[in-house]
Amino acid sequence: MSNQAKTRTVEEINKKIRRGDAQVLTAEEMKRLVEESGVEVAFKEVDVVTTGTFGAMCSSGAVINLGHSDPPIKIDHAWLNDVEVCHPGAAVDLFVGATNMSEKQPFEYGGGHVIEDLVAGREVELRATAYGTDCYPRTSIKTTLTKDDLNQFCLLNFRNGYQRYNCAVNSSEEIIYTYMSKLLPRIRNATFSGAGELNPLMNDPDYETMGMGTRIFLGGAQGYIIGEGTQHSPKNLNGTLMVKGDAKKMTPEFLQGAAFTKYGTSLYVGLGVPIPILNEGLAKKTAIQDSEIFTDIVDYSVPRRDRPKFGKVSYKELKSGSIAVNDKKVRVSSLSSLKMAKKVATTLKSWINEGQFLLTAPVERLPTNTVFKPMRQTEEIPFVVSVMHPAVTCTEKEPIQAIAERIVTKSVNHIVVVDDAGKILGIVTSWDITRAMAEGKKALADIESRNVITAKPDEPLEIASKRMAQNNISALPVIDIERKVLGIITSEDVSRLLGR
Amino acid sequence: MGRILIRFSEEKVSEPIASQIIIKYKVPMAILSAHVNSKGGEILAEVPDDMEEKIVKAFRERGVEVTVPKLIEVDNEKCFSCGSCIALCPVEAISLDRDSTVQFDKEKCVGSTCSICVDACPARAIKSVKNGAKKS
Repeated sequence: MSNQAKTRTVEEINKKIRRGDAQVLTAEEMKRLVEESGVEVAFKEVDVVTTGTFGAMCSSGAVINLGHSDPPIKIDHAWLNDVEVCHPGAAVDLFVGATNMSEKQPFEYGGGHVIEDLVAGREVELRATAYGTDCYPRTSIKTTLTKDDLNQFCLLNFRNGYQRYNCAVNSSEEIIYTYMSKLLPRIRNATFSGAGELNPLMNDPDYETMGMGTRIFLGGAQGYIIGEGTQHSPKNLNGTLMVKGDAKKMTPEFLQGAAFTKYGTSLYVGLGVPIPILNEGLAKKTAIQDSEIFTDIVDYSVPRRDRPKFGKVSYKELKSGSIAVNDKKVRVSSLSSLKMAKKVATTLKSWINEGQFLLTAPVERLPTNTVFKPMRQTEEIPFVVSVMHPAVTCTEKEPIQAIAERIVTKSVNHIVVVDDAGKILGIVTSWDITRAMAEGKKALADIESRNVITAKPDEPLEIASKRMAQNNISALPVIDIERKVLGIITSEDVSRLLGR
Repeated sequence: MGRILIRFSEEKVSEPIASQIIIKYKVPMAILSAHVNSKGGEILAEVPDDMEEKIVKAFRERGVEVTVPKLIEVDNEKCFSCGSCIALCPVEAISLDRDSTVQFDKEKCVGSTCSICVDACPARAIKSVKNGAKKS
């Protein structure tokens, strides 16, 4: 390429790779070069930028062909190391999903681990049953297999490499275990995922160089992008990739089974895309830095599709180890491995430098205009807010006599005790009042319950109803995030609506 | 500072043994974690190195079990340095080094009495070791 040229092609770059004089930088190195020498110089000097990410990618799996047994079997149900696997096609094709869990060790061992074990060359046990047909008479089989015994062992991941992801926190009073890992109560920690400025899609956000047919690093071997991933949402920088590759050639270092307590199993996938620097625009795009990539801080304690947010945060802040949430310092850690993401990018760089990896131009680029829609629901489920009604309240200063009268005049069983700002202090039931009369107690403080079990307005009613049953109580005050009383729901309200 | 794990049986837990020893030996004992109820208890404490032997002996003479706690065990083969554990650690014993590798500071870690990181490890690389070797 002459110094004046404003573009270069994938063919020109491949020629240089074959000659051994292509200039390849990792995304990290590219950012430094652009910062020091500017976009123009970077474009002139650099042919390829390698990216990388290594994170839990639940929508991963492997297609396996077992070959035929004698007599042959048309598998109906199958298990690999006690993990039930799908049999989506003909007689002996299986799909091992990363999140399918072992029946003997659920939450600890799953499809992701089966894939890792096979990739590592370890033996796995196959059990299968069938109903038997004239052409496939056999009804059960048990055997052990390694990857060498399989005809095809193809990693087929329908959603990998999320361009960026949420930062998760938990504002509730209890620890929650999520796919974003363990979240401590009252926002005492935060988690995030993704490689930020090293992420493949983030370095080519208009998908100029990526699409079906792009050769990539996948699980320690060469693989391919085969299209947009599921839930691909390019307009808000949440692009994803669908990828495949020959798992027989992959390495367990870049493909590791994982277990998330009380959530389930998954697969950590190492994925890297080489970005050919075809024009100055790509040199500029690959210079993107963590400080320019933002994501939402999301409250995972609210079990809804649209969870409340606590503002935005950059990947630079996320990688610093602490962020500010509501002006409070919160320690944050990553679920994906930055160390391994860097290793993906440097390994891919060395493959290209050694001439083992040639670039491909996509046959069809990833779409830039698709949207990720919510599920169409034909049945609405009720939420707390739909049955909540105003709570009858009192203050701690009021005499029990006045409260007893209010229970009668308002015809309720529960009175919520609030402070001057309307924040919840306790709850008193008609039973508490009866007991106070019997025991001659005069002060409200002696009879009210202070550890009040509450509900939030946007919770599904089903969850609030379960909480009532578990605690053997018949009403839940509904409060907002500042603990102000918004209303109350009772077990009668619930049974009227849910019919139980 | 040396770290000792003091275990009180149901019979001993009601006696003010720790206070007696602190007063008698004037030992500046830092309590790192404590789980105590009427059925017994466990205190992880730090004592100055030059007093450790004396303090361990004093507890044992009063019928209290003292061990030098084994911390958590990390399987470096399994750990892929995601770092999920880092922000959970109450004593900031876990960090990423310059190489983005997860490092455990065994001096800071309060070990099996905490174990908050154990079930948060997706690689299941962290194990809590309940019974440490006894220090003679």
